[in-house]
Amino acid sequence: MKKWVIIISSVILIALAILYYVFIYAAQYKRNVNDEKAIVISAVELVYAYNNNEPDANAKYLNKALVVEGIVKEVGQNQEGNTTITIDGANDFSAVFCTLKEADKNIEVKKKISIKGVCIGFTSDVVITDAFIQSKN
Amino acid sequence: MKKYLFLFLLLSSAYGVSAQALLSTKSGVAKFNATGGLVKIEAVNNQVDCKMLPTNGQIVIALLVKGFRFENQLMEDHFNENYLESTKFPKASFKGYITNIATVNFTVDGVYKVTADGVLTIHGVDQKIQTPGTITVKSGKASLKSDFSVKLADYKIAGSYIGEKIAAEANIQINCNF
Repeated sequence: MKKWVIIISSVILIALAILYYVFIYAAQYKRNVNDEKAIVISAVELVYAYNNNEPDANAKYLNKALVVEGIVKEVGQNQEGNTTITIDGANDFSAVFCTLKEADKNIEVKKKISIKGVCIGFTSDVVITDAFIQSKN
Repeated sequence: MKKYLFLFLLLSSAYGVSAQALLSTKSGVAKFNATGGLVKIEAVNNQVDCKMLPTNGQIVIALLVKGFRFENQLMEDHFNENYLESTKFPKASFKGYITNIATVNFTVDGVYKVTADGVLTIHGVDQKIQTPGTITVKSGKASLKSDFSVKLADYKIAGSYIGEKIAAEANIQINCNF
């Protein structure tokens, strides 16, 4: 009799765990770069790495959390109203293009900035998404 | 002196008319929808790189697959790891020409129907495609829109997602403001 109670209660527990995973955890789990340990790199170094050898740079930086430091070259807005920042990469054809997770209207061109976000690869710019501002001046 | 000035003005005005600079944006939008069952499978990418030359209609669109955001992170992870294999193939692109670019007058407001002809690369597979779209000119600014479908099997996209039903054809919407 005791055996049955244990078996039935463990079956119920497993079922609850599966339901939790499918309906609650799966729906709420979100990657947040702010909680991740990041690789700190300058925009110039990052742009050089991608222009020099894209596969190698991807192996090192793709999908990783990065803290990118540099000088703001351009500030813009995307179609959703979020702020985009282009950080100078000391290269006329290539820079670091970042999209912030939350809009920030107080970013100035030619000032120093440090942002943390996920590197998603290289088009003609190195692209950083879901970014947060670490520091600016 | 006057003659030179006149010549200069003439030349500069001619330059202004004929040379339409490259149109480009880095924050174009691509929407992806492969809903096959009850659960919606859709994602948005806000970092589409698009360059277009109004003189000959040449167009290059590049986007990074890891830039697609789903509401559900697990679905996003599956999309990247099992379907698009975005670590192996980080980029998707379209390279080609708008064949009837001559019908678009970039100085007159309006909505122009265009056709793009070129090569679409997804998941490392190249496919020739022809797709309709529109170029909208409004107060001197141009924007490009296209809405088309791709068969996932054509790009060797296959996986085994448990639960959600994925459509055999995915709808892709592109919207770039220059």
